[in-house]
Amino acid sequence: MRSFGKNIIIAFQSLFLNKLRSALTMLGIIIGVGAVVAVMSIGTGAQASVIDSIQGIGSNLIIIMPGGSDDDMGALNQFTSANKESLKLQDIDAIKKHSRYVDGIIPVILSAAPVTYKDKGSNVSIYASSEEAVGVYNFEIDTGKFFSKSDIANSSNVAVLGKTIKNKLFSNEDPLGKSIKIFGKNFKVIGTVKSKGANTFGQDQDNTIAIPVTTAMNKLYGQNYLNLIIAKTAEEKNLNLASEEITRILRKQHNIKSGQKNDFSIENQTEILNALSAVTNIFTIAISGIAAISLLVGGIGIMNIMLVSVTERTREIGIRKAIGAKNRDILTQFLTESVVLSLTGGLMGIIFALVISLLLNKYSPILTSVSFSSIALAISFSTFVRLFFGIYPAMRAARLNPIEALRFE
Amino acid sequence: MTDEFIIKIENIFKTYKIGDIEVRALRGVDLQIIKGEFIAIMGPSGSGKSTLMNILGCLDIPDSGKYFLENIEVGKLNDNHLANIRNMKVGFVFQTFNLLSRLNTFQNVELPTIYTKTKLKNRKLVINQYIESVGLKGKEKNKPNELSGGERQRVAIARALINDPAIILADEPTGNLDSRTGEEIMAIFQKLNKQGKTIILVTHELDIARHTQRIIYLRDGLIIKQERIENPVMADEILSKMPKLEDRISVLK
Repeated sequence: MRSFGKNIIIAFQSLFLNKLRSALTMLGIIIGVGAVVAVMSIGTGAQASVIDSIQGIGSNLIIIMPGGSDDDMGALNQFTSANKESLKLQDIDAIKKHSRYVDGIIPVILSAAPVTYKDKGSNVSIYASSEEAVGVYNFEIDTGKFFSKSDIANSSNVAVLGKTIKNKLFSNEDPLGKSIKIFGKNFKVIGTVKSKGANTFGQDQDNTIAIPVTTAMNKLYGQNYLNLIIAKTAEEKNLNLASEEITRILRKQHNIKSGQKNDFSIENQTEILNALSAVTNIFTIAISGIAAISLLVGGIGIMNIMLVSVTERTREIGIRKAIGAKNRDILTQFLTESVVLSLTGGLMGIIFALVISLLLNKYSPILTSVSFSSIALAISFSTFVRLFFGIYPAMRAARLNPIEALRFE
Repeated sequence: MTDEFIIKIENIFKTYKIGDIEVRALRGVDLQIIKGEFIAIMGPSGSGKSTLMNILGCLDIPDSGKYFLENIEVGKLNDNHLANIRNMKVGFVFQTFNLLSRLNTFQNVELPTIYTKTKLKNRKLVINQYIESVGLKGKEKNKPNELSGGERQRVAIARALINDPAIILADEPTGNLDSRTGEEIMAIFQKLNKQGKTIILVTHELDIARHTQRIIYLRDGLIIKQERIENPVMADEILSKMPKLEDRISVLK
């Protein structure tokens, strides 16, 4: 019986004999494995960045939105006037007062507004909230300070700038203490926050100005309701308990009778994460499926080549059998050849995929991350395909009658 | 006494089917070969000599009858055992050499040893010794297409010898060679026979057959005649009388 190493050497020898053919066969595997790994790297990359950006906000958040989510209109209800005004500042006080699990809670009004400083102007996202936003929404102060409790109480005209808008309006100038105009009203810049970067959907989170929620309600929009309430629990495991608790408190606060539907909806981070993961998973599975088909086609290519190779080397098989090779030896020889072919191709495919994912990371907005599991999957699947398609030609070779094989021209 | 016979064949029959036609290749052949004998099997094409050769070489088994090789009844063995016997007890030399074209001399000679269970001691040394003994020292790295016909047959002989087999089966070993080279190959066989090897040669040239000690004539699947050669032709003597290649070239000049 030949040793494993010897088999490999013999396999390489015969593959080298037909360099072009081996290379072309391998190309099928390289593309197949490469495609699977590359596609999965894009998938996991997308997933990782979704999770990252959501956890960047804080992994233990509960988002309360106006409008019920469990009736037929679903999310659309948020935009019908009846429901979109259901969240009030008093709700926050009620939750603060009665909740055991909620650790921090902030009101949010999101809007877009024109901003000017001297002759420069721009459109920005206005993020109106309370002083607790620093802890809950993970704002990090760069210079100056965030607005305070008294700013909320007094509806002060103060603003905290994101990096992008700060650079747009002030370039190198120090913005602290300067006066900017939002919707034509004067606001004093009291601080700037550190960059949060782009979110998963490519939006610039730094083109934002934070102002006190009361200022937005009383002075800018004249509204008495909130867009969102964001609550935070001390521990992630209490998310669901907190959600239930908030539901109870808000139903009581809104005087909703039992049997009636909520006029608000609650989602927590875990649910959002799961939903987004499901989407990216479907995407990854679908494209991986297509890539797997290319692996299968590569496998058929291998079978074809091995069949040709068996016919072509009938005489060699005859000689080997005449001098003492058993059926098993011939089988091993041809199987080793297809495995060597597929493993070499597979390795090159992985390198190919690594290069692609590196290039994508560098020169495109798509984030990729090559996971070990995707490599393992591609290799094991391709080896399986190769063995499956390699075994038939190998068995044909092994079963050849040595006398006829020797006579074969 | 069976012991003195290295090969004993009793009433062997073999029938082939080629399409719908039945070819009765062997129709009751009896044959005994003594250890150390050098015999030739002769016969026209279709006489069954190739079939007999295949059976002797354990590439095929008879339909009926018995074949003992070194007292082992070969007809009762399975494929794996037959492969082992071919590997350990039989050395083949073919008319068309049957070397693997992509392997060099050393690797071709080495080939049978990689199918052997027990590892040969000092393998490299032994292989080189056999290569040297057939006069190919210095050609270890040459591929078959870089060797002459005679040299290729020497590689094949070294390959046949490498596992120190009980018998050497040579099927028309000089058929593709010119007469001088053929004579050189016969000289090697005679030398091996002198060292005690049992050699069975299939040929249709009487001149070649006369180098052996016994000629067996086969016709229509039966042994029709056996002839003992009292004074075999000595290849070395013929070679010494033959003009050497260089002499022939100088004549041409």
